[in-house]
Amino acid sequence: MNALEIKNLTKSFPGFTLENLNLVLPSGCIMGLIGENGAGKSTTIKLILDMLHKDSGTVTILGRDNQGDICLTKEDIGVVMDEVGIPECLTAKQVGKVMQHTFRNWDDAAYVQLLEKLSLPENKPFKDFSRGMKMKLGIAVALSHGSRLLLLDEATSGLDPVVRDEVVEMLGEFTRDEGHSILISSHIVSDLEKICDYIAFLHKGKLLLCEEKDRLLAQYGIIHCSAEQVKAIDADAIRHIKENPYGVEALVLREKMPQGMEVSPVSLEELFISMIKEANAR
Amino acid sequence: MKGLLLKDFYMTWKYCKLYLLIAAFSIVMLLTEDGKDMFFIMYPCILCGLIPMTLLAYDERSRWVQYSAALPYTRGQIVSSKYLIGLMAQTAMALVIGLAQAVKTAMYGGFFQAGELLAAPLTALALTCALSSIIFPFVFKLGVEKGRIVFYVMTGVMCGGSVLAADLLSSPSGAQTMMSVFPVFVCCGGLIYALSWYLSIIFYKKREL
Repeated sequence: MNALEIKNLTKSFPGFTLENLNLVLPSGCIMGLIGENGAGKSTTIKLILDMLHKDSGTVTILGRDNQGDICLTKEDIGVVMDEVGIPECLTAKQVGKVMQHTFRNWDDAAYVQLLEKLSLPENKPFKDFSRGMKMKLGIAVALSHGSRLLLLDEATSGLDPVVRDEVVEMLGEFTRDEGHSILISSHIVSDLEKICDYIAFLHKGKLLLCEEKDRLLAQYGIIHCSAEQVKAIDADAIRHIKENPYGVEALVLREKMPQGMEVSPVSLEELFISMIKEANAR
Repeated sequence: MKGLLLKDFYMTWKYCKLYLLIAAFSIVMLLTEDGKDMFFIMYPCILCGLIPMTLLAYDERSRWVQYSAALPYTRGQIVSSKYLIGLMAQTAMALVIGLAQAVKTAMYGGFFQAGELLAAPLTALALTCALSSIIFPFVFKLGVEKGRIVFYVMTGVMCGGSVLAADLLSSPSGAQTMMSVFPVFVCCGGLIYALSWYLSIIFYKKREL
């Protein structure tokens, strides 16, 4: 079963349209939704949760349409948003009590254990937490009610590298269970490169690509050569060219490159930036 | 919905203590004032009616509005929790006022009937419920920032109204009139509150968060 299926999802706002989005997140996988600010990542997550009303298309979460009994579906979804959304005056202990009366499958022992593991104080108000602590509390809540799908909207942005690493590690642990899946949006591509199985690039409300990460990285490469050498390459092989005083750096499709030409591995971040620039240039 | 109510209870205890102090002061004034006491009956109820609005403002600031939409609650439950918190706070205050009035009557050595004691607090409850009823649908449709204008206007109207009512009801004929119309007030207040509740749910379901 797929954890998430989005078909032809469209939503228009004045000045922005999320257009015909199609995504499939297989169960047991992590998908990274990458895009610049304003690309439509948060809009997508809000549409999945029915916080925004779609213009057209369908969203199926864990086999259930999101226009059906969304409350039942939300029992199985853990959500962490950019601004976590927990009231500032509440302590972690109070949050636990509120959630105990919110989720049917709330596991208080697991929650307390996570608070300890993440070194989160039980009796300190949320407003006195650092950003990293706030995010960790959001994740602790999301992981304490038997979630099968995590939706994380910019959950790692603004965190210091140590906390980001901890968070990334926790997400990795979560998906060790084959029934657990994650959709994580971020513009910090390096975080997603570490953990994601699938990558979806969003640009100005359109899906540029959605592909398995390993396949994507195997498909593309970077060459460094002179302008003359580039001219000799099949134009279909070249996805983006960046000229610099020392020559040319080009993003290329490996399979269409002439044999014997050295092609360096490309990072997800380089791939993303090149694709966005190419899309902007069109 | 228990979770929503519990969260609102924690927030009320944290953010609305000042309201309780002001309400306590009003009740003391009610006990000591002779005659024009309608303002001190109305004002604590109005304050209690403001609690949901205060909570909604904090909810928007902390982005709870968005977070709660990601939790297993219907929009109807989210709206209803605020109506229930308001109703519970105002009813509790009306009861306290009724009690304070009984104490006052006893202090001055008079005799009282249950109906007379209930008339003023229940009328206050009905009027403040009507006040909330007008404000809430705007807030749930437009958000606290935009709904605040309606809130200020209505609070002003209500405070002015309570002073006016104090003048009118200080005369024996005014008090008699209140006794005869208060059941109508209470019924109308309840109906308006129910209609407002229903409208707010419709508006909030349509709102994009």
